[in-house]
Amino acid sequence: MASLDGSTIIGESILINGNLNGDEDLTVRGRVEGTVTLTKTLVVEPTGVVKAEVQVKNCVIAGAVAGNVTASESVEITKDGRMVGDISAPRVIIVDGASFRGRIDMGSFEAGEGERPALRASRPALSTRRPSAPAPARAEEKALPPRPPEPPVPAGLGGGKKKVIVRRK
Amino acid sequence: MAAIEKSPAPRTGAHTVIGSSIVIDGEISGDEDLVILGTVKGRIGLKESLYVEGSGVIEADIETARVEVSGQVTGNISASEKVELKADCKVTGDIRAPRILIADGAVFKGNVDMDVKGAK
Repeated sequence: MASLDGSTIIGESILINGNLNGDEDLTVRGRVEGTVTLTKTLVVEPTGVVKAEVQVKNCVIAGAVAGNVTASESVEITKDGRMVGDISAPRVIIVDGASFRGRIDMGSFEAGEGERPALRASRPALSTRRPSAPAPARAEEKALPPRPPEPPVPAGLGGGKKKVIVRRK
Repeated sequence: MAAIEKSPAPRTGAHTVIGSSIVIDGEISGDEDLVILGTVKGRIGLKESLYVEGSGVIEADIETARVEVSGQVTGNISASEKVELKADCKVTGDIRAPRILIADGAVFKGNVDMDVKGAK
């Protein structure tokens, strides 16, 4: 039985009820209830259901998680992921399509506090520039067909902007 | 493009592996094969095979169809088909199964009951 060491898989039909501790990656395709404590990555696959207090380094949720997740590095909810509970991690990624209800705590921003006002100050400048940005683009679109080929653009770029060539039989 | 970039899941319903650094305290139940390289305390109930590998440590009552032990088991084992104690295993507890194999080198302490068919 070639069971690869260093990674644990909980199969689809398996239910674990209790405490789970470990120092390796864990992939859940079945159900885990109770507590999960790992020093590595927990991956909840689309078929996986975790109803537990989770404490890990990294967590990737593509299945269902109900419970609080504390990660020392990151938590990612993928587009198939569903989660109800609180997340505490310095990096939290929630992609489009994911569903999540709960609180998120990414820690405090001691280091970033100095930069924040500067960021905000630069924002108005950005927004004033933005309205004007689409206008030239539109003008360009209209002007495009008759526009004569400008300074030698790489063939790929120029070709994409020119009219679509329709082949007639 | 982006073809399905899933980890190479070999087959659906692939067996479950509990890795060597994993400790589970509680109950495991399921309908598929289970391979244990780590530690499980509590109870294990399966409808398929349980493999306790050399590094596996079980402190639990086991109820499955088939059991193969190469590691350590403390607890009662009840199998509907077969129990196999391999060389180098250490088992303490009672075993109930219609077929029980004990290999040379296995260490076992407990009662054996093969009379399961007529069991009440």
